[in-house]
Amino acid sequence: MFSEWNWVAHGLCLLLNICSLKVSGGLVQSCGHIIPESPVLALGSNFTALCILNESCLDFGNIYANQIIWKIKNRVVPKEHYHEINRTVSSVTFNDTSSLGTPLTCNILADGQIEQNIYGITVTVGLPPEKPKNLSCIVHQVLKLTYPMTCTWNPGRHTFLDTHFSLKSRWPQETFPDCIPKTGNNSCTIPDVQFFVNLEVWVEATNALGKAESDPLVFDPIEIVKPLPPHNFSVSSGILPTVLKLSWENRISSAVMKLKFNIRYRIVGNTNWMQVPPEDTASPRTSFSVQGLRPNTEYVFSIRCMKEDGVGYWSDWTEDKTGVTTEDKPSKGPPLWRIIDASHSSASWTVHLMWKALEPFEANGVILQYEVTVRAKSSLSSPPEKYNVNTTNLTLKLPNGTYEVTVIACNRAGASAPSVLLIPASNTEAPVKNVKTLAKHGKLRVEWTAPNSSVLKYVIEWCLVSNSSDCIIEWQIEPGNVQGTYLKGDIKPFKCYLITVYPLYADGQGGGHSVKAYLQQDRPSKGPTIQTKKVGKAEAVLTWNQLTVDEQNGFIRNYTILYKTVNGNETAVTVDPSKTEYTLSSLASDTLYTVRVMAYTDEGGRSGPDFTFTTQKFGKGEIEAIVVPVCLAFLLIVLLGVLFCFNKRDLIKKHIWPIVPDPSKSNIAQWSPQVPAKHNHSPKDETYPEGSFTDVSVVEIEADDKKSFSEQDLKPFDLLKKEKSTSEGHSSGIGGSSCMSSPRQSVSDSDEGETTQNTSSTVQYSTVVLNGYRDQTPVQVFSRSESTQPLLDSEERSEDHAEGGENTTQRQQYFKQNGGQDETNIDRSCFERTKQITSANEGDLVGFAQLQISGQSSQLLGLGLEKNTQEAALSEVLQTSTEGQTVRPETVEGNPPSADEMPKSYLPQTVRQGGYMPQ
Amino acid sequence: MAAADGLPATLRRRDLCSRGIRLAGKMRSDVVDLLDTYVEWQGLDPSASVAAVEGVPVAAVEHWDEQTGTQRLLENLAAYRAFRALLTQMLEEQREQLDEADTALGRALAAVLLQVSAFAYHLEELLRLECRGPPSEEVAGPSPTAHLSLFERKLRGLGVLRELAQWAVRSARDLRQLAKPSPGSSLPPGPAESP
Repeated sequence: MFSEWNWVAHGLCLLLNICSLKVSGGLVQSCGHIIPESPVLALGSNFTALCILNESCLDFGNIYANQIIWKIKNRVVPKEHYHEINRTVSSVTFNDTSSLGTPLTCNILADGQIEQNIYGITVTVGLPPEKPKNLSCIVHQVLKLTYPMTCTWNPGRHTFLDTHFSLKSRWPQETFPDCIPKTGNNSCTIPDVQFFVNLEVWVEATNALGKAESDPLVFDPIEIVKPLPPHNFSVSSGILPTVLKLSWENRISSAVMKLKFNIRYRIVGNTNWMQVPPEDTASPRTSFSVQGLRPNTEYVFSIRCMKEDGVGYWSDWTEDKTGVTTEDKPSKGPPLWRIIDASHSSASWTVHLMWKALEPFEANGVILQYEVTVRAKSSLSSPPEKYNVNTTNLTLKLPNGTYEVTVIACNRAGASAPSVLLIPASNTEAPVKNVKTLAKHGKLRVEWTAPNSSVLKYVIEWCLVSNSSDCIIEWQIEPGNVQGTYLKGDIKPFKCYLITVYPLYADGQGGGHSVKAYLQQDRPSKGPTIQTKKVGKAEAVLTWNQLTVDEQNGFIRNYTILYKTVNGNETAVTVDPSKTEYTLSSLASDTLYTVRVMAYTDEGGRSGPDFTFTTQKFGKGEIEAIVVPVCLAFLLIVLLGVLFCFNKRDLIKKHIWPIVPDPSKSNIAQWSPQVPAKHNHSPKDETYPEGSFTDVSVVEIEADDKKSFSEQDLKPFDLLKKEKSTSEGHSSGIGGSSCMSSPRQSVSDSDEGETTQNTSSTVQYSTVVLNGYRDQTPVQVFSRSESTQPLLDSEERSEDHAEGGENTTQRQQYFKQNGGQDETNIDRSCFERTKQITSANEGDLVGFAQLQISGQSSQLLGLGLEKNTQEAALSEVLQTSTEGQTVRPETVEGNPPSADEMPKSYLPQTVRQGGYMPQ
Repeated sequence: MAAADGLPATLRRRDLCSRGIRLAGKMRSDVVDLLDTYVEWQGLDPSASVAAVEGVPVAAVEHWDEQTGTQRLLENLAAYRAFRALLTQMLEEQREQLDEADTALGRALAAVLLQVSAFAYHLEELLRLECRGPPSEEVAGPSPTAHLSLFERKLRGLGVLRELAQWAVRSARDLRQLAKPSPGSSLPPGPAESP
């Protein structure tokens, strides 16, 4: 423990001794030092430093050179660089100073463990200055008598050291003060230099590692002067319209320097400078007159100067000064042309004279007016007509003929030469040939072959062809000795221009030769729309629309039709551009095709929309070839059928259309003899066998005068039919007065209700013929008809039945009575009752009519009679149904009779005395 | 850049004469301007007449056209050496008087002084080309002006500048005369230079 405390105290004591070995006068004395002190070393050289320990430290602190450690910053220098010279001196050597850093310190390990700094130095590594190069000087005149000289040089590589540059100058007998650069290290300005004595200048560069001098320059400063530009520069108009006078003052004495000048000028708005020939201004002067200028034009001038012999530098250009030349009379007449409109009248023209405004360099001033003179060549005696216009066109209405038009442009200075245009009555002279165009340098050039005659000049007209705007003519005039020119205008690409060239002769004018042209072509903006005109089995006729001029964007060179099936390859057909129709052949039948058409210009094509069509399944005539034979065969069959029917008509007629006697053709003579027999035998009706009805026929006859029935006439009848329709199976056929027994036993109209209604206008005639059974002679003949046609008595009753008799509803009634044994048996009760009624002077059909009216009610008769609204129709039915019956109308108005009295109450109501009555 | 040292003697002489003439012309122009500045700064009457100043060489000479080239060069050299001393003295007086060196008058005086020195160099070079070196410069400078009043010193300065302007004209004529071809002269003909 004690030894440890002793060791610590010894260390602290040593540290204090090293740090402040000796305090003398308040300063701390170091225990050693390094040689050299803060060296400046050349980069890449070797370097050796010595650390020398003070003798006093050796004894006091037991410090020796072998304990020294060298460090660069905080990095220990390897021991191999050390060399212990003696016990107080240690050296370190660096072969390359580039590995050096700062600070370089000398340290010592006290007691082998505690590192303590002894001394440190700052090492500066750099390069010696290079020889300055490219020394050059210029003398800038800044004032009239002040000529500072600025010299610049290349200082060379960076030295990493503080390097001083100085510009030195001297005369042979006198040395001037150095010029020290104020900023930078590559230029310096000597405030004032003297001319006409050679001056020697050079640059000296100095730093800690050395000094370098540039090559000296020896020159007379007057030879490197850049003078100030002239001042008070002014431009004034001269007497002549083509001259401007420039004047200025020089700012350098002629005693110092004789000057020459450059004068440049340009037209205002033009960026290109023109220059006065240098030889004209190669001598000292303070004014100059620039000639050959355009009249009435504003010019910009500037001037510069330099030493007369050309040694030295040009001054800067002066500021621009402008001047305007005076006006001169126009140098030429305006280009003149016309458009003749002869559409209004064959005897006169509307002549649109037009001329172009002169270019400024031609107008030479402000054009005040144009004087137009029109002289008719045909009548030389008549004075020419003169017009003064301010515009550039004039429209005149002139009789047909040859005219000479002159236009003169006038400004303040005078009038131009006249422009003459001969307007002949017709363009009879030779036209130009071979007009062609070509695009060149972004312009459209027109070339032509001149006619054989001498042409005075050419007029080129052109206009933009468009669907959306009119053809606005532009024109230009070219001299007669050219055969081509560029169109002077805003020629747009992808637009069609119609260009016409007219040759003008001294005594006439040639016809125009036109050509269409494009400055630049492009693909069409859209493709044609195609469609089929006709589609067959193997071919299709296609048509498409022509593209408009605005859509073409160039000359259409061809059309390409592209067609394909759904899964097939596309086939292309190229078509001449003049066509808009094409027939595709060899197509597959009944196939869907997609077709489109592309319009091609020189620059490419564009496709129109797709169009689909399907070829037909059968070709032309194929269907006819099938249909016609089939039709013929059908007709033949029909014909044969007709012939067969004709041959068998009697048989057919017997079964289908039996002969129905026309009641209107009946007569009493034939009818009446049987009546007594009827009456006589009526009580014996039941003695006839029921099967004596051998033949019952129903005949329907279409009535044409259905429409003649009134609504009222038809209404009760409709009601009647409705009731009958609802009484399915309850109505009876002939003789079925009750018809209540069985629906099956009666022939019901309801089964054929629709047909009944549709054929409501038919009239039935029924005839019941009682023939004798087999070969027996019939004892009694009964004949009945339901015809609504006027019978013999109906004519007599027509007045009593104004509404019913005349407009008798041609009721359709299906009346059927089979001769079958069963049915007759079933209807026996009805039949018997009918016979009872018949015996009471009532026909069989009275009951039938009654049953139809009453429907299926058990009180049929009463109900039917209570319906007054049905009276007319009913009476009509009764009338038509009671042929030859005596009818008492009063029975209708009576109270409903009892069932026993019923037959009497159903006598026809419209029969009156004197009418036909069955006997 | 003119490196005159390598030129043949004739061309060297011609070049010296040519530039000497132009230097004389510029010197006269600058001296005239300096006179205006000097009169203004010193508050003198521009039309004030100044009597002959002691120590100032006089440009006027009789039988000027009878002088030889060497004689002309020697008289010019002597005059400009005198002017160099006088101007140096004036510049010092001006600096003392105005207590500042960087004035327009001081700069103009310094510029003229440089030109006088340059012209003297030209003359010495021409004399060397004449195969006789320039005479040694007299040690004695201009007479001291301490006894003169300030006004007298201003007038003296005015007289110096006026006489220098005269000498500038004479020197240009002398050098032009030297540049002329003459039987007794080895100078080749050269372009006439006039200030």
